[in-house]
Amino acid sequence: MPIVLDGSLGVTTPMYNGSITANAVTPSVNMKNRIINGAMVIDQRNAGASSLASNSTYYLDRWGFFASQNNKFNIGQNLGSVTPPAGFTNYLGLNVASAVSVASGDYFSVAQKIEGFNIADLGWGTANAKTVTLSFQVYSSLTGTFGAVFRNSSNARAYPFTYTISSANTWTSISVTVVGDTTGTWNTNNSSGIEIWWNLGAGSTFSTTAGAWAAGNFTAPTGATSVVGTNGATFYITGVQLEVGSTATSFDYRPYGTELALCQRYYVQFLGSNAYEQLCIGMSSTNQNGYCVVPLPVTMRSTPTLTYSTVSTTLRWTQLDNSFNGTAIAIDQSSTKTPQIYLTVASGMTSYRTGFITANNSTSAYVGFSSEL
Amino acid sequence: MQYKLIKSPLTGQINAVTIIGKNICIPFDPANTDYQNFKKEVLAGAELQDADGNVMTQEQANQFVGGLA
Repeated sequence: MPIVLDGSLGVTTPMYNGSITANAVTPSVNMKNRIINGAMVIDQRNAGASSLASNSTYYLDRWGFFASQNNKFNIGQNLGSVTPPAGFTNYLGLNVASAVSVASGDYFSVAQKIEGFNIADLGWGTANAKTVTLSFQVYSSLTGTFGAVFRNSSNARAYPFTYTISSANTWTSISVTVVGDTTGTWNTNNSSGIEIWWNLGAGSTFSTTAGAWAAGNFTAPTGATSVVGTNGATFYITGVQLEVGSTATSFDYRPYGTELALCQRYYVQFLGSNAYEQLCIGMSSTNQNGYCVVPLPVTMRSTPTLTYSTVSTTLRWTQLDNSFNGTAIAIDQSSTKTPQIYLTVASGMTSYRTGFITANNSTSAYVGFSSEL
Repeated sequence: MQYKLIKSPLTGQINAVTIIGKNICIPFDPANTDYQNFKKEVLAGAELQDADGNVMTQEQANQFVGGLA
């Protein structure tokens, strides 16, 4: 006799025979949603501040902006301060800072690139490719037919699709089901697997017919609304979910700590919360260089790039009662788990003495490690 | 984009590169997308400086990048 979970009476267990059937209650499924930070909660880099968008740059965690021209959009968490849709507290916001009449070779997109390990079970590029459903909530000052694209990392396969926003300045739920690609190369390792690009404007070079797999480098369906074409136009998105199957299910809310850890595989920031925060501990090797091994909270996707705040004004080396303003910082031993970095100062440090890289009377001091796709 | 090589004070080996004017230090790892872009851009003509700040000729830059993994 099976055990039946009916969601109201608890578990009835006349005799367990190894078979469990779930009715009504949807069990929690790990990583149902292949999108990371789909609720736009994590913003390590900017903590809610907005900025002009540049090509191949990440803003909210895991969300990148890709474009043929820089500085045409403002981008940031909760940009525009509208009320997020029910069940959400954050969204990724863009508005047009400087309108562009797109030329054939232009493209503007916001995207998430999903690591191959996290889509390996979908079997894309094989005869067993699984169907997936993408769902999200979107809001724009414009109405009409918008578009997005599923792409592979080699820019050789693309599935453009359209969706409609009928009411301006209103959150609209979108759901799109895509039959998996049985051809092409879809990485299943630590490089980019499936990429989803939301089109904000694209020329003819990067546009093709919606609703079918195509060979080539495309970022938009033909005829989609050009958000970038209207000065001040807005485009907000949240609740993004990509799941296996042909039905969009409820958004998979994950604990904040879990979502943060998922993001930290691609970017982690050690940020000064006070003006003299100690960012990492190490030892001086000479009178000019202080070394720190930084244990990362999560194994990163690849050996990361070091990013940092302006050294001369925000970082210093501290040993005993002495502090030395930094002049440069760099990565010495790269590692996905314990990279070694060093801060250079003009002179004066005592060699082989324990010390710290600390904030230099600055709450904007940080060191970060990036292994984004 | 202008790149400058970085030499490790400990080993004396060139092991990273920075983008001039940006607060970024890129390790030499083929899986790192910044490293992939560095190689692509230098081969496409972006300026590369050695660790002392001397601008390398395009031929020198191509030869250096071509010798990397």
